[in-house]
Amino acid sequence: MVDKLTILIPHILMGIALWRLLARDDLDRDPLADPPAPPAFRRKQQSERTKNVS
Amino acid sequence: MFLDLFFLAFVGAFVFAGIKRPFLLVLAYTYIDIVAPQKISYGFLGAIPISLVTFTLAFGAWFVIDQKRGARFSFRQGLLLLLLVYCGLTTLAADFPVEAADKWSWVWKALLFAMFLPLTLRTRLRFEALALVMVLSIGVIVIGGGIKTLAGGGGYQTLKLLVNDNNGLYEGSIISCVGMAVIPLTIWLVQHGTIFPKSRLVTLFAAGLCFACLLMPIGTQARTGLICAAVLAVLSLRTVKNRALYLGALGAASLIALPLLPSSFTQRMSTIENHSSDQSASTRIAVWGWTLEYAKQHPFGGGFEVYRQNELVYNTVAESRAGDNNIALESERIVEKGRAFHSSYFEMLGEQGYPGLVIWLLLHGLGVWQMEILRRRYARRKEEALAWIAPLANALQQAQIVYLVGSLFVGIAYQPFCYMLVGLQCGLWSYVRRIQRLPVARPPVPAAAAQRRPLPAA
Repeated sequence: MVDKLTILIPHILMGIALWRLLARDDLDRDPLADPPAPPAFRRKQQSERTKNVS
Repeated sequence: MFLDLFFLAFVGAFVFAGIKRPFLLVLAYTYIDIVAPQKISYGFLGAIPISLVTFTLAFGAWFVIDQKRGARFSFRQGLLLLLLVYCGLTTLAADFPVEAADKWSWVWKALLFAMFLPLTLRTRLRFEALALVMVLSIGVIVIGGGIKTLAGGGGYQTLKLLVNDNNGLYEGSIISCVGMAVIPLTIWLVQHGTIFPKSRLVTLFAAGLCFACLLMPIGTQARTGLICAAVLAVLSLRTVKNRALYLGALGAASLIALPLLPSSFTQRMSTIENHSSDQSASTRIAVWGWTLEYAKQHPFGGGFEVYRQNELVYNTVAESRAGDNNIALESERIVEKGRAFHSSYFEMLGEQGYPGLVIWLLLHGLGVWQMEILRRRYARRKEEALAWIAPLANALQQAQIVYLVGSLFVGIAYQPFCYMLVGLQCGLWSYVRRIQRLPVARPPVPAAAAQRRPLPAA
């Protein structure tokens, strides 16, 4: 019984953590170290993309 | 069979999630390396090399899919590489080639993973996720151990921790030491966690987990654990807000706990001061003496498992009272062969010689120093993006000092969990070096103008 409990509780918590991590963008992109590109740069990227499509 | 399926499904879920998020494979390997589900299940899982498979998947996914921007190879990672190569060379020339190769089969993985880990730790959430998996994985071992201790099921080499293995993290002295090292990380997760944000339930669970860790030295009757607990209590004095209250609470808790402790525990702990009557402690002294002599003749080490050739002769002295004024001293001559080092420092000296010991000491000494720098530099930063750095550095420093003190009495020089702590430290150091160029991470002017120097390259 005790062994089952000691296995179950941390595994359930790790499972929940895993589920929550899947939905987090900041797992792969750090808000501080990888800030989103500045607007001007994004606009340039967007216009380049539009050019490529056309 | 049911356990096999449960663990297989759990690892499978991790691996499946890793397809979307490669870093989760790193967490899967961390979990497998600590919990060793293949040992717990006794079934078909033992026949599958899940540890090697997950390690390969984690490395492969990082190499092929994951971003590598900002990843850097630090000086301490270089030391890990040097230690790995040196250990490989001593294995080739080991005194016991077969046994040395057996130990090498898991040591290389621990060193390589510690070297690889910092390259993957690119975001704050990854630090948290890794720390969480490490803490919860240790929880798998200590929660049951704590409950069994409370129920009176403890005792020296009798507390059963899921596995009847008495090896690795399932060995009494090792889990007592590692359990203490985990406490600062658990507290950090409560205070700065975002996966499980601070709440009453989270605090309650963390308090229970810390209590279970504190029960480990009592349950296993490992003296190392008690020493580690004392070291952690002293280290905590640096960070607690109200020292007088902390000391008062500590004193009151000790007074309440002392009468409740089993007599076998207090008897065994008393041998910390008087080791001459205790065979286990006397063995340690004898092995350490043998190792020093061995290192004089073999300064470059004898490879893994070199202790197998030792033959120790020593005397134990036991007192027995015969009346009020009479004490009878009984001396017993003990001869033992092939006794393990019982100390990481002597383990390194005997197996890897002076070069290996120096690399190992440098690796850990630098860790304490680097965490101290980060701790001081970011101690006053209250911005949400930076406030977690100093407490994590502090927790990692405390964990490492506890490990280094515990290492005096237990042979855990290559314990994979401790190398994960090293990996976390290297990752944090690299992360801070990466963000320190950003304006937000610079100290405010003029209070910290003197600290504006960038972090050293180590």
